[in-house]
Amino acid sequence: MKTLLKNGLKAGIPFGIVSIFLFLIGFNSTIADIILKFIKIDDKTVVFGLTSRPLALLMFMGVIGFWAGTNSGRKIKNKTSSVIILSTLAGLTHGVLVALVSYTIGSLSESGLKINTYLAAMLTQTIKLFLLDKTPLAGAVFMLIFLTIMGALGGLVSFSYDRANTRQKMVSGWKNLTVKINQQPVVRHIQTNPLTRYILYGLILICLIVVPLIAGSYWNYTIGTVGIYVLLGLGLNIIVGMSGLLVLGYVAFFAIGAYTVSLLTAPLPHHLMWNFWWTIPIAMLLAALAGILLGIPVLRMRGDYLAIVTLGFGEIIRILIKSDLLTSFTGGPKGVTAVGGPTLFGRPFSSEIDFVYLIFLAVLFAIFVTVRLQNSRVGRAWEAMREDETVSRAMGIDTLWQKLLAFAIGAALAGLAGVFFASRNQFTGPEDHSLMVSINVLSVVIVGGMGSIPGVIAGAFVLKGLPEILRELENYRVLTFGALLVIMMLVRPEGLIPPSRRKLDTNQDAVLDSKKQDERPE
Amino acid sequence: MKRLFSSINIRELLRPIGQLAIFSLGSAVILSAIVLLLALIMDKTAVGLGVLARFHVSLFTYTLVNLPQVLIDGLTIGFVYAAIALGYTMVYGVLEFINFAHSEIFAVGAFVGVEILIFLDGLGILSAVPNWAAFLILIGAILAGMLASGLLAVAVERVAYRPLRGASSRLVPLISAIGVSFFLQDAIRMTESLTTGQFNRIFPTFGNFDDRLKFGELPMGANMITLGVSIKSIIVIIAAVLMLVGLNYLVNATKIGKAIRAVAQDRTTANLMGINVNYIISFTFLVGGLLGGAAGVLYALKFTRIDPFVGFFPGLKAFTAAVLGGIGNITGALLGGIVLGMLETFAGSYLGVFTIGAAGTEYKDIFAFGILILVLIFRPQGLMGENVSQKA
Repeated sequence: MKTLLKNGLKAGIPFGIVSIFLFLIGFNSTIADIILKFIKIDDKTVVFGLTSRPLALLMFMGVIGFWAGTNSGRKIKNKTSSVIILSTLAGLTHGVLVALVSYTIGSLSESGLKINTYLAAMLTQTIKLFLLDKTPLAGAVFMLIFLTIMGALGGLVSFSYDRANTRQKMVSGWKNLTVKINQQPVVRHIQTNPLTRYILYGLILICLIVVPLIAGSYWNYTIGTVGIYVLLGLGLNIIVGMSGLLVLGYVAFFAIGAYTVSLLTAPLPHHLMWNFWWTIPIAMLLAALAGILLGIPVLRMRGDYLAIVTLGFGEIIRILIKSDLLTSFTGGPKGVTAVGGPTLFGRPFSSEIDFVYLIFLAVLFAIFVTVRLQNSRVGRAWEAMREDETVSRAMGIDTLWQKLLAFAIGAALAGLAGVFFASRNQFTGPEDHSLMVSINVLSVVIVGGMGSIPGVIAGAFVLKGLPEILRELENYRVLTFGALLVIMMLVRPEGLIPPSRRKLDTNQDAVLDSKKQDERPE
Repeated sequence: MKRLFSSINIRELLRPIGQLAIFSLGSAVILSAIVLLLALIMDKTAVGLGVLARFHVSLFTYTLVNLPQVLIDGLTIGFVYAAIALGYTMVYGVLEFINFAHSEIFAVGAFVGVEILIFLDGLGILSAVPNWAAFLILIGAILAGMLASGLLAVAVERVAYRPLRGASSRLVPLISAIGVSFFLQDAIRMTESLTTGQFNRIFPTFGNFDDRLKFGELPMGANMITLGVSIKSIIVIIAAVLMLVGLNYLVNATKIGKAIRAVAQDRTTANLMGINVNYIISFTFLVGGLLGGAAGVLYALKFTRIDPFVGFFPGLKAFTAAVLGGIGNITGALLGGIVLGMLETFAGSYLGVFTIGAAGTEYKDIFAFGILILVLIFRPQGLMGENVSQKA
């Protein structure tokens, strides 16, 4: 009984702290508004004396309370009564903590104290909402009872299903289903027919053409940003994903591309006013050259040393651009304005749509290059190098040369992305090229799945597109992004869409690992 | 009493002090020699003439007169870097991964310390206290910052790194660390902007920390240059030296230190020898966090202003220092921190003079990274690192 009590407290306290934290930063009212946006609740609805906003809040709190219950119940599986007691205790602890804080703050607010001078998010309205528009005591007690019940319910559910087993069943069921579908003669016929592939590609192409026409200029801008990150991701994918070289200064090549187009086409500081199209190959060449020049000395290093040296290189480039010495050449901290854009048959690319199409073209080109490389001798050499450098060298692969090639191609793609970035914004400055860009691109590659092309696209959408969709969470954006990265690594470290060859590998590793389990300290 | 003394390993207490002295003196002497030599060479060129016109002294005298101040500043920042670098290097030694979140752990320490002081200042306590009490309060703030950072580091390890141990790719924990870093940075920003409405915090002035101890004046042309060191620099140096010695003792002369070294060498075998590996790793994070937190408060004391992104640059520099010295090597981190701090301060103070103002202070970062790249090209394992091949 005593251990049960202890475990219940232990399970409830973290959830209580999280709930209180979310309450204190005002996250709850934001979430309630979002819920209301998706689930339309009529303003006149009254359930248990609660109107629409408190109901939405209760839905959210209910999920947390439920989670507290399932989480506590998961630890012991066999005894019904102890599971229920444990989860109820956890829910009760959770509820008591939340109720205490909300009651205190609510009654302080009632007595005329302005809480938001101490805690900026604690507007009277927000506190009222959390107390479900009731008096502090009634609201707190209601919340307490509600959370306890939700905890108990969570425990019940966790008891009634065995998590690991259910998951296994779902996975194997899905697999059986796909196998069965694949064995159907019609499906096989479609699959083996080469026409299918072309039709699929055609559909994607039509989507790519149609979507920018429908979307407004804001969404086209976002799609363009995602596209630029896909380009960057594909380039870094060659370096990190395929060849296994950890590079943290990738932004340097991006900056070189952006500054090449800026300096060659802008009226200031050089008044060269070149045609945009000529700058693309030059920017790519310069970026590739920079990649080779950086690569020759540093590629002998391995792993983390390579990471920190390239990171230093990226920072050096940014500081150089900003510095007084080069201000007359690069425009200094103020950057370069009025960067020239592309023209086609005398028509300038003015709207976002034009740029979206241009970026799509570039992405398709990059995908083509990457796919061809991946299936070539070079791609296989990179993969061998990634898996084991020493062995690949023994197999006769000139590793330095292959690394340089990977560096140069990856850098050229970053240069291309830089060109589009600068000419679309008609501006480029040193702060566009901070370390954050490198880290974002690396996250895109890893979250998507190292070495996988669809993965990179998915990663760019998730990391650059999703934050735009969740505008309401503006204040919590970086916070969510960070948490998302951690959770992603915990739940699915191989990425959203891992490459097929890699998948084979990891499965084998998993088999080996399960055998080795006993040896490994955990 | 005698038994107590005999149980203390005096040699391990003295050794790091000697090392610190050698590193500080060595880098000071070498850098001074280089700068003075440059000054001698350039004395008759346009650079020397420019200085002569402006300050009415030769370039050599100018350099020489400014040298003591530069050395003290370099040493102060160098020790701060060393204290942060130790956090990186210890974690790397044990787990072989870059703890990207360490810079935010440093920042949390700084914020906790400064917030406590601001709170006390708001109560009106700080302005009235005598100097000795101010000193005690500062120590209290440092301890609070240490505690917060240490516990946070342990929590981060438990939540974000431990489940990933034995992941297929080395990049997986790295990305997780980057995620934690973002999360903490924004959590600080949000907590600050929600509770105080602003996130630039100023270290309150109290006690006599801003006073300077003067020990002489040097003539430079018509002017006199005061030689002195501010009390806060002395505090930073002493606190850092104490911590570094303590850490060295902990790792090299205690039982738990032995366990840490064993885990760093071979985790599986250490486990077989009856060492609780998880506990030791948590402990390593705790120690790294404690050092980082103290460094955070010291940094705030020295530079006064902090914001949620305060951790980024010191963290980057400290990591550079750790790599420079040979990552995973505690003595190397000390050396790397001191060398980097010195280099930076020298570059910051003299680069402008030697290039007639063409290249200003902002080049000191380029200098730091450039040196790092050069060292790694010619000595990829760092200054003191052993030549071990990386585990696949």
